[in-house]
Amino acid sequence: MVLTGPRISSLGGFRRLVWTNGPSDEKAVSTVNIKLVGGAALGLATMLVLSSCGGGDAGTPAEGGSTGAAAGGEQVTLKMVAADYGDNPTADNAGTKFWKSVVDGFQAANPNIKVEVQVISWNDIDKQVATMVQNGQVPDILQTGDYSGFVKDGLLYKTDEVLSPEVSKDMLTKFADFGKVDGTAYGIPFVSSARALFYNKELFEKAKITEPPKTWDELKAAAEKLKAAGVSQPFGLPLGQEEAQAESFLWMLGNGGGYTDASGKWTINSPANVEAFQYVKGLVDAGLTTPNPGTKDRKTVWEDFAAGKVGMVNGGPMSIPIFDKGAVNGKYAVAPIAGKTGPLDTTLGVMDWIMAFNKNGHAAEIKKFFDYFYTGDATQKIVDNYKLLPVTNGGIEKLSGDEKLKPFLDALPNASFYPFKDPKWSEVNTAIKQTIGGAVKDDPAKVLGDLQKVAEGS
Amino acid sequence: MKRLRVLEPLAWVGPAVVLIALVVLWPVIEMVRTSFLEVSRFGVVRGWNGTENYDKLFAETDFWPVMLRSLIWVVAVVGFTVLISLALAQLFNQRFPGRKIARWALIAPWAASVLMTSIIFKWMLDPEVGIINLIRRDLGLIPAMGGADADQLGQAATAFPWLIFVAVFVSVPFTTYALLAGLATIPSDVYEAAKMDGASKFRTYWSITLPLLRPALTVAALINVMNVFNSFPIIWSMTHGQPGYSTATSTIFMFILKGSNIGESAAMSVVNFGMVIVLTAIFLKISKWKQEVA
Repeated sequence: MVLTGPRISSLGGFRRLVWTNGPSDEKAVSTVNIKLVGGAALGLATMLVLSSCGGGDAGTPAEGGSTGAAAGGEQVTLKMVAADYGDNPTADNAGTKFWKSVVDGFQAANPNIKVEVQVISWNDIDKQVATMVQNGQVPDILQTGDYSGFVKDGLLYKTDEVLSPEVSKDMLTKFADFGKVDGTAYGIPFVSSARALFYNKELFEKAKITEPPKTWDELKAAAEKLKAAGVSQPFGLPLGQEEAQAESFLWMLGNGGGYTDASGKWTINSPANVEAFQYVKGLVDAGLTTPNPGTKDRKTVWEDFAAGKVGMVNGGPMSIPIFDKGAVNGKYAVAPIAGKTGPLDTTLGVMDWIMAFNKNGHAAEIKKFFDYFYTGDATQKIVDNYKLLPVTNGGIEKLSGDEKLKPFLDALPNASFYPFKDPKWSEVNTAIKQTIGGAVKDDPAKVLGDLQKVAEGS
Repeated sequence: MKRLRVLEPLAWVGPAVVLIALVVLWPVIEMVRTSFLEVSRFGVVRGWNGTENYDKLFAETDFWPVMLRSLIWVVAVVGFTVLISLALAQLFNQRFPGRKIARWALIAPWAASVLMTSIIFKWMLDPEVGIINLIRRDLGLIPAMGGADADQLGQAATAFPWLIFVAVFVSVPFTTYALLAGLATIPSDVYEAAKMDGASKFRTYWSITLPLLRPALTVAALINVMNVFNSFPIIWSMTHGQPGYSTATSTIFMFILKGSNIGESAAMSVVNFGMVIVLTAIFLKISKWKQEVA
């Protein structure tokens, strides 16, 4: 009895289905009327039956029969899943609003094709998409952070099946190359971003620092001056769950290291990387960074920078809107990231992808949609809304006049990327996010060594 | 006609049976099945994997510490919750001015979503702007805002007690109300008899109130045990189980694993499920719940 209690009760309040904690569940038990439970049972049973019927042929148009080309004015519905780049689901830049404007324009031009977009937050999209794939309910189009895991199992269309040659040609070559697995392109670059060092000019003046640090020694000296001037976090260091892999990578690059070497072999515990973390640990031990960096998310540290409590922090174009909303608006500047002996000649580049699944056979319609997306003003809207960088030569040219984005655009052609195509990356990435903060608290060699073991494990 | 008669109970029990089968049994079967499959991070099922998911899970260096922490978590949260609730229930069972308001106030942490409560506590403990740290600074307990001293959620030694505190905070209202309901069922003549015999207050509580309260206490504690063990939002929203895995319980561990290995994550779910059953069995054995109260 007790086992079923809480579950039935969750029907009384669907919002509790995900975020349930014991006692709050029980509240519903006591308030749900017994009669209602019976009704709910029937309702649920009906719902499940309906949804399981609907699920089987999801994506196939109700009229049936259509595979591929929308011939003879037949209506085709494309299902699309996209990640949300907006601040939150109700913000002006929410993903749902962005995609609605794109889809409205597309549908007006192509009355035969309907596009249904489901926008999912970055926190959930990987797990939700994995569930869709596991249940055989893949969308037609997916826009997210990685495509490589779908290729091996033949789930994706090749790029040239769903993208016009003119659009393909305009893509930055280096980016498009990352979309290839064994020489064949499957992932289509969607947006990109790069990292640089943001510093608070007002705090720098107060601490009598004349220019942003170029080397690790200068960085430490600057941080000490900031500390002496009463800045609580001279260097913002987010090594917590949200994006530890990015911050770590930047420090590795600063010493000529990285997650893998040029041949793709894992080098997480290479001497260069260990030395980099020893240096960062020195900063942490001296109280020159965010306290307990291994528990701090990027979002929190960026907000602290926006509030004027952080002297320097690594950020990207997407942090500009956050900083502009805070007390630091107009008082910060951007510089290349300091390395051990000089400023970095590379930086972390991140690319997001869009891809087409071949299960429902809608190649022709998908092609129309992609061409509409890349040739229209949609990419410009992304830049305006989210400060993400375009992936086409045309798009980058258009932006060359933007002062704030210039350092990032300049860095893009020589950017370094995560080894995301390595099948072990997702597992390594998960482990990095959770544990790499320990490398600036305990023994760097041991923590990085454990991560290397994860990467090398079967 | 007769045949229909036989089928009649089925019409009444049917929906509930269907519901249990669909909502409880089916997911359990799927969970167990998945734990023996090889599933890529992208959700592609690669086939049967034997016991490899379990082997990998048990070989994780963090597995046993996580299990031990889950146990401490359950015992601490349920223990404190029950003790505090027993006292509060006793208090709220007395007549005093403003009792109605006090009872309503107790509902507040229960009425608010657990996730919301956790996020509020996270912000109150924020090292730069948190109100709890502002008070600590004004009291001279910490030198300044923003440092490691002000960052209690950043270290397991201080973070875990705070997590337990929040879990107790959201569990107390339900438990108190369950116990209040239990207290209301104890007839007053038993107490009168005890008074006549000259029993002390402590003796009355120990020999009359507690034994008669046992059914309510058992149910309240049992529900707490299961739910606290499976509790996710508090820890996830306040620490993500960090630093490292040092504030993670098995539910959090399962969720993290889901990002890298779905099969292993399912294996963790099965272990979790087994743990709940074992904990429940142990608990029922200890509290001898079937034994009639004399």
